[in-house]
Amino acid sequence: MSDSNNVGVKAGISLKPTQGYLEETVPPFTPFLAMEEAARCLLCYNPPCSEGCPADTNPGDFIRAIRFRNFKGAAEIIRSNNILGGVCARVCPYEKTCEGACERSGIDKPIQIGRLQRFVTDYEKSTNFQVLDPPKATKEKVAMIGSGPASLSAAATLAMKGYPVTIFEEKEKAGGVLSYGIVPARLPQYVVDEEIEYVTKLGVEIKLNTKVGKDISLDEIRKQDYKAIMIGAGMQITRTLPIPGKELEGVTTAVEYLAKARSNDASFNAGKHVVVIGGGDVALDCATTARLNDAESVTVLYRRTREEAPANRQELEYTESLGINFAFTLSPSIFESENGKLTTVKANGTRSKSAMKIEADTVVFAIGQQPEDFSKVIEGIGFDKNNFITSLENGTTSVPDIFVAGDIDIDSTKTVVNSVQGGKIAAISIEEYLTKAGRKQAFCSPMHPEGGK
Amino acid sequence: MAKHADLSIDFLGFKCENPFFLSSSPVSGTYEMCAKFLEAGGGGVFYKTLTTTIPEECSPRFDVPRKEATPFISFKNMEQTSDKPYQDNLDAMRKLKENYPNKLIIGSIMGMDEDNWEEMARDYTALGIDMLELNFSCPQMTYEGMGSDVGASVELIDKYVKAARRGSHLPLIAKMTPNIEKMEIPAIAAIKAGAQAISTINTIKAISGMDFDHYTALPVVNGKSSISGLSGKATKPIALRFITNMAQDKELQGIPLSGIGGIETWEDAAEFIMTGASNVQFTTSVMQYGYRIVEDMISGLSIYLAEKGFEKLEDFVGIALKNIIPADDIERDFKILPKIDYDKCVNCGRCYISCFDAAHQAIDWDNENRKPTIDEKKCVGCQLCLQVCPVYDCITPGKILFKEEDQFGKGSKTIWKEEAPNKHDIIVGKYDKP
Ligand SMILES: Cc1cc2nc3c(=O)[nH]c(=O)nc-3n(C[C@H](O)[C@H](O)[C@H](O)COP(=O)(O)OP(=O)(O)OC[C@H]3O[C@@H](n4cnc5c(N)ncnc54)[C@H](O)[C@@H]3O)c2cc1C
Ligand SMILES: Cc1cc2nc3c(=O)[nH]c(=O)nc-3n(C[C@H](O)[C@H](O)[C@H](O)COP(=O)(O)O)c2cc1C
Ligand code: SF4
Ligand code: SF4
Ligand code: SF4
Repeated sequence: MSDSNNVGVKAGISLKPTQGYLEETVPPFTPFLAMEEAARCLLCYNPPCSEGCPADTNPGDFIRAIRFRNFKGAAEIIRSNNILGGVCARVCPYEKTCEGACERSGIDKPIQIGRLQRFVTDYEKSTNFQVLDPPKATKEKVAMIGSGPASLSAAATLAMKGYPVTIFEEKEKAGGVLSYGIVPARLPQYVVDEEIEYVTKLGVEIKLNTKVGKDISLDEIRKQDYKAIMIGAGMQITRTLPIPGKELEGVTTAVEYLAKARSNDASFNAGKHVVVIGGGDVALDCATTARLNDAESVTVLYRRTREEAPANRQELEYTESLGINFAFTLSPSIFESENGKLTTVKANGTRSKSAMKIEADTVVFAIGQQPEDFSKVIEGIGFDKNNFITSLENGTTSVPDIFVAGDIDIDSTKTVVNSVQGGKIAAISIEEYLTKAGRKQAFCSPMHPEGGK
Repeated sequence: MAKHADLSIDFLGFKCENPFFLSSSPVSGTYEMCAKFLEAGGGGVFYKTLTTTIPEECSPRFDVPRKEATPFISFKNMEQTSDKPYQDNLDAMRKLKENYPNKLIIGSIMGMDEDNWEEMARDYTALGIDMLELNFSCPQMTYEGMGSDVGASVELIDKYVKAARRGSHLPLIAKMTPNIEKMEIPAIAAIKAGAQAISTINTIKAISGMDFDHYTALPVVNGKSSISGLSGKATKPIALRFITNMAQDKELQGIPLSGIGGIETWEDAAEFIMTGASNVQFTTSVMQYGYRIVEDMISGLSIYLAEKGFEKLEDFVGIALKNIIPADDIERDFKILPKIDYDKCVNCGRCYISCFDAAHQAIDWDNENRKPTIDEKKCVGCQLCLQVCPVYDCITPGKILFKEEDQFGKGSKTIWKEEAPNKHDIIVGKYDKP
């Protein structure tokens, strides 16, 4: 990975000209700048930013704490509500969450809440401030499938309540999309590793290289005395289109492409002329990854208009500022090859008769993800046709000891912060289930078959 | 949760949950207001000062000086004592004590003459509240012989403390005025006359700014204005010096002090406690932000004390007093040169301007590269440049040089050496590091 000479601009912040693939794009706040930004905060009554945070990270309170020079108190507010505070600070779609609700917009522009959150979690680390101190894990054992944000958050919540938790993860690294998907320029690996360590320090065990359904079955997990099991397996499959040439070498999926780039081994070849298909944040991550790994030309092909693209606006502008081409209202029709090697992507207009021919040795599908089929692994719970689990209330399912959170939950809005919240909610449901089940055993009497209150 | 120290502390025999109190002012003006503060976590309230005659107030009555865009640098007010009926206020204080038995409830009184002081003290004592504060310090009373005039007169203090004592057996706290050079004198008089503790500061007589069309001070009351009391952040340094002076005074040893003046963060509060106050009170910060500020005071101070290993708040009271010494005892045989971190420097030249125009012309400015360089020979180590540099941690304390021992006092001919016979360890202070 070499330094390329890209200069970008993000949210009005000029970025370093030597921005490389592994270097975090947005610079951190110094204490002065954090204080200046916190001083812009209006300290609103019933702060709407706090309402806007899906994970109750409580920005209204932590910004106020910064303002009143209570930096450690701010860290306590963040960490006790959001175990992945440092991750969320970097990857949240703020414009739709906290910052989108910020009343300062009525004067000029919102408070940079994510960046302040990052300042506080960095400060917490640099001062070795220990916020969470778990009780002894003496209660029933709980298992999680997958080690993404949903499971990490649920596991931390349960550990803080005294439950021993084991996470089963099929990959060799924990973190799910945090470790295998999101580009390091937005989320450096050390941040992910530190927050995972936070969770393991609470006593949570992570069993890597263990795929549930292959290396261990659900029944075996139950037999090992796990009294509740939460599925946080995310969306592991990238959808593709049935296009002639899609089997060619050089045609890949977002999940594969990003995972290879992130694992940072020599085998990753970004491609010279890269075409990314899709218009969401994942597509932008693929395009940025290609560009920051020295692809000569990168083109994002999207079937609708720029305005309709679901991608985050800031990221979109940043991607454009890196010199990445965008072709809107176009859809690929065929991938052409020479001697078995991909050479060209042909695309047709979706709203006109236009046609386009793009030189390409690499094509990345980034048109959406879906979960793997779990119906054979876990029987009795509901799935929709795209393999999403049709959860009941608060992360419960139709099987009493099975819970669900994160992207695989049909109700999730598929972001890290929503997965964190999903994990917290499922953890509370698990606690309720276990305490009720516990009571049942303890006080079961003919008068109160349900255990009573 | 992170470790939090216990903030409870004794004040004249009352075990306070924490040292954070509302000072007597409109922020403690009704039952509902005080109750809201106590619910937010406050340790107690000094209820708004009453007089038996309700004063007439003017409108407008506040001014809020700014520096650049920052409002509430300080705060000027022209208010007097409570504008609510005397009996309603007494009922409010009684109800507060009934409903919040574990919180410190203090009533503040201001009499017109000895009989009035005694009568009010008696009325208050019947309420079941914990203590009385004697307001000797409001600088804008419109009646003669009331307010800060009293705080400046040893005779009046003596008379009125004794009068209050006749009316009450409760602990008496004398609230002193800062509009005076040596607060120790009236404070000692109050203690000798029967008060148990001192609280200070009340507001400082001031003109906060002028109106440029009506040629009067602010706020403008139908074209006119008055000198009146200034409070808030900018007054804290003045308050801290009064607290320190009293805490270091031999005759006042063992007399509890309640610190007031510009407190809005836990750090502000800790500064008062370090210099000898066993609790603190605040008003202006609540006027700007509301009672919720007490949450960060509690959180911030309890985390800090736990990290520093203080078992109880008591042990922190006055901890800095031994290190605040007379100016002629300060060591003057070394200088700490500033160091510029050129990776952080943004080439603004502010250090150069300040050093040239206001210090010792010890920074050279390379105009082509916009680069400042410190001339070690000329630099006296005043560190003005460090204070004006807008970049965090860009100019920091650097090399330490010592005077050749026999050179002491010879001004410009002094020889400075890194390796000197009198070299010793120097403690370097912190510069706004969180
Ligand atoms: C490229 C990309 C960029 C994104 N960018 C952002 C962003 O900027 N901001 C944002 O908020 N969201 C972003 N998202 C979405 C976000 O990452 C997800 O919503 C979030 O990671 C979901 O968390 P999760 O815990 O449900 O699942 P995941 O993070 O997907 O983790 C699931 C884990 O389960 C493991 N697993 C699956 N099956 C099994 C099994 N059978 N046995 C054992 N382990 C198993 C997987 O290996 C994986 O580690 C992005 C997603 C992608 C793909
Ligand atoms: C509007 C206003 C009214 C006040 N009224 C009283 C009062 O009635 N009695 C009193 O003892 N002090 C009164 N004070 C002084 C405060 O109690 C306090 O001593 C002073 O404001 C300094 O603290 P601060 O900087 O936290 O505001 C008043 C202050 C203000 C700003
Ligand atoms: S967790 Fe995310 S959405 Fe919530 S306040 Fe922090 S940055 Fe905003
Ligand atoms: S909404 Fe914006 S201005 Fe209001 S408290 Fe939250 S961050 Fe501050
Ligand atoms: S004030 Fe600071 S940033 Fe400006 S020139 Fe001097 S050292 Fe550099």
